Amino acid sequence: MTESVGNRVGVRIDGVSKRFAHRVKGEVYAVREVCLDVRPGEFLTLLGPSGCGKTTTLRMIAGFETPDAGSVHFGERDMTGLPANQRDIGFVFQNYALFPHLSVFENVAYGLRVRGRTDAEIGKSVGDVLALVGLAGYEQQFSGQLSGGEQQRVALARAIVIQPSVLLFDEPLSNLDAKLRVQMRQEIHDLQRRLGITTVYVTHDQEEAMAVSDRIVVMHQGRVMQEGTAEDLYHRPSSQFVAQFVGRVNLVAGRVTEAAGDTARIAALGTMLSVRPSPAGLAPGAPVRLVVRPEAISILRTDAGPLQATVESRTFLGEKIEYVVRCAGEALQVVCYDERRGEVIPPGAAVSLRFGADAVTVLPATLAEDHRDA
Amino acid sequence: MVMGLRNDPAVAIAVIVLWALLALFVVYPLVMLLGRVLTDHGTFTTAGLMAVLTDRHQIRAFWNSLLLAVLVGFAGTVLGFLFAFTAARERLPRELITVIDAVVLLPLVSPPFTTAIAMIFSFGPRGLITYDLLGLKGATVYGLTSTLASEVMTYFPIAYLTLRPLLAAIDSNVEGMALSLGASRWRVFRTVTLPLTVPGLANAFLLLFAASLADFATPLILAGNNFPVLPTQAFLQITGLFDLRGGAALSFVLLFPALLVFVLQRYWVSRRYYVTVTGKGAGQTPFDSISPDARAALLAICALVALVIVYFYALLLYASIVVALGANHTLTLQHYRTIFTDGLKAIRDTLIIAAFAMPLGGLYGILLGYLVTKKSFLGRRSMELVSMINYALPGTIVGIAYLIAFNDPPIELAGTALIIIACYIFRYGPTGIRATVALLQQIDKSLEEASQGLGAGSATTFRRVTLPLIMPAFFAGLGVVFIRSMTAISATIFLVSISWTLITVKILENITELSLGPAAAFSVLVVVIVFVVIAIIGRVLHRFRAPGAVSMTNLLGG
Repeated sequence: MTESVGNRVGVRIDGVSKRFAHRVKGEVYAVREVCLDVRPGEFLTLLGPSGCGKTTTLRMIAGFETPDAGSVHFGERDMTGLPANQRDIGFVFQNYALFPHLSVFENVAYGLRVRGRTDAEIGKSVGDVLALVGLAGYEQQFSGQLSGGEQQRVALARAIVIQPSVLLFDEPLSNLDAKLRVQMRQEIHDLQRRLGITTVYVTHDQEEAMAVSDRIVVMHQGRVMQEGTAEDLYHRPSSQFVAQFVGRVNLVAGRVTEAAGDTARIAALGTMLSVRPSPAGLAPGAPVRLVVRPEAISILRTDAGPLQATVESRTFLGEKIEYVVRCAGEALQVVCYDERRGEVIPPGAAVSLRFGADAVTVLPATLAEDHRDA
Repeated sequence: MVMGLRNDPAVAIAVIVLWALLALFVVYPLVMLLGRVLTDHGTFTTAGLMAVLTDRHQIRAFWNSLLLAVLVGFAGTVLGFLFAFTAARERLPRELITVIDAVVLLPLVSPPFTTAIAMIFSFGPRGLITYDLLGLKGATVYGLTSTLASEVMTYFPIAYLTLRPLLAAIDSNVEGMALSLGASRWRVFRTVTLPLTVPGLANAFLLLFAASLADFATPLILAGNNFPVLPTQAFLQITGLFDLRGGAALSFVLLFPALLVFVLQRYWVSRRYYVTVTGKGAGQTPFDSISPDARAALLAICALVALVIVYFYALLLYASIVVALGANHTLTLQHYRTIFTDGLKAIRDTLIIAAFAMPLGGLYGILLGYLVTKKSFLGRRSMELVSMINYALPGTIVGIAYLIAFNDPPIELAGTALIIIACYIFRYGPTGIRATVALLQQIDKSLEEASQGLGAGSATTFRRVTLPLIMPAFFAGLGVVFIRSMTAISATIFLVSISWTLITVKILENITELSLGPAAAFSVLVVVIVFVVIAIIGRVLHRFRAPGAVSMTNLLGG
């Protein structure tokens, strides 16, 4: 196995749409005018709830589905009409799709045999790649004899042994147990780093997406909602949907009272909050939603301060404590990574809250509402 | 194991009664057959058997039987696969699939001889195609070719019904994977689809082999004197030469290939399935798995075969409403008048026998199926095995064995309806057993545990949970017993009498007397009755939306 692939290509999807016939609703869009640009060697993840169109998008990249509109390019090459067997891809399925009638060796060798490699080359490549995924010695086993994790590794080996220009993963870890999932996602990440193959990965698990990707594209109802690094999505969500889908969040209703420069003052939670950076075009009087992450809120054991609150419940989770507090009628989630060991605030206690200006993202309320209903 | 019985007297009684019935109607006749073949006036002798094994004519019949069975197995499996592949992979509109299913079903639910009669009408000396269309004089329809063609037409649906669910259950991602690795469609088919279907193909081949081996009706009409086969020889030996011992010996020879097939199927093929057929489709294929050219070719082949079948049955219908097909094409209802006057007794007898065999066969199926799947008792597995014997053996053997066993005291049943009913129950009830076992294996244990967890006792659990779930198997099994009661002949031809006769036997009599009009009218009547009953049972089955509710048509496949 060579350490990297010579000709890296990017993947570009332009205005791709796919409609399906729905039994009740008639024609529905599974994917609607999606544009993506995956850079050569990049690890890009399509993230979203089930039915958001991420798998259909991936299958259109693979050539298993033909788009009704738009185009798919690998590098400069237009792939739109080509079937999967002419695209030079490696695909890893959620259920692994190992050939049940072939041994591990023959499963991995399949793509090489199709490419007409000699037996000597095949023997060497398969041996190398099985060693790479930690399955040396499993050559003669059949898929029925392997554990879920082992099957997953065979599927991975089979996809990378042909040194494809693009590697595609469709929820590859969802059939594994939690511990193995964490281990495998690290292995996939490291392997992709070493091989440098342009990769598109589909998952509904935001933590998995954050762990493996260079960049994440959040999809919802067939459209791209936002794309960016894990940090971008977490700290600067552009919509209520993304804010809620990526990590846990408090959404607080507010109204702009003053917008000047890069700071805005917003009336919320019965007080005035100073927030920056404010999105452009926030006029005074406009309704907004404040996005506040639970860990960005501090609880102070004092009844002084502008944000008075009452502790409603607390959950001790070892390295952290989760509280639900009520502040100006709104229930807020708060996560404390407890440095003051043993100090747990009891329910009913009057406290005051503090959150830093950087921790708050402001979304226009109309937009936020749109996406909640969308 | 025996503990279970002591705790549950109902189960114990059921087990004892079933064993007694199996001993009487499955084991006893076979032992008597064996006795007749291997003894003479109480002393052991192989003289009777040797007489058969050294007779050159009979040896030829044996090899002919095997040759015919192998050819039917191959040709029928190939044709069935083409149909199954077309139905499972071409993304045809649902209506078209329904049409294919209905057409393919026709030969399976028809009385014997129907394709044979149509062959004679078409290709005989005065055949519509050979004489009227091509102007051939003195064309001969009798021999291997026509027998083969007729049997393939009759039995390929078995292969279709075996292979279609298998093809539909192949994980489409596995084929998609092969494609994404760069393989062409043809290569995917050759290296993935076909290997995954091999166990099913082997199974279909064995089923067709067994069906052809057991078929005595088609060769009787079409094979002619120059191509004798064993079941026909056994039949002629008994009915023509009144040599029961010779017939028994001939059928005994047939026993070996039949048992070999049964053992191969049960212990070899069934363990080699890669694909679990759950009755639930594996979802859409991820790509067009067939190239447009191949698609067109497949559709053309299937359409052609379907047309031939439709033509055969149209011809049969036509023959039943004209004075004499090939000679006088004046429309008439006289053949129907004949069968409802002269043939009325046969119709009435057949319906009475079917009406008794149907519920009893259905009950036998679910009872035995339930006991061997859900209860543990001594001899559970052997009970299942024994229950399958009459089903697996060619009808000729079963018929002759019944004839020998029940002709004389102590158990004299010859000439009664009971012997025919018993024959049907134990020969066709096993379909219901298999359906019940298959359904019960799909029902998760936790369903019954959930019921018990909610406070229901085992009786309530059975009544409220298990029974509703296996009702589809009851109705499917009952349906199959009914259809076979209407259409079977190979075993029961030996069991009919002046008191009780059958439509199928009447058809055979008509053919031998060359009154093909009434034979066609009888056949049409049977097909109509069977289709009506299938429609009714289909309705009933539809109401049970149980997991993997069995479709009766699938059960007819074997």
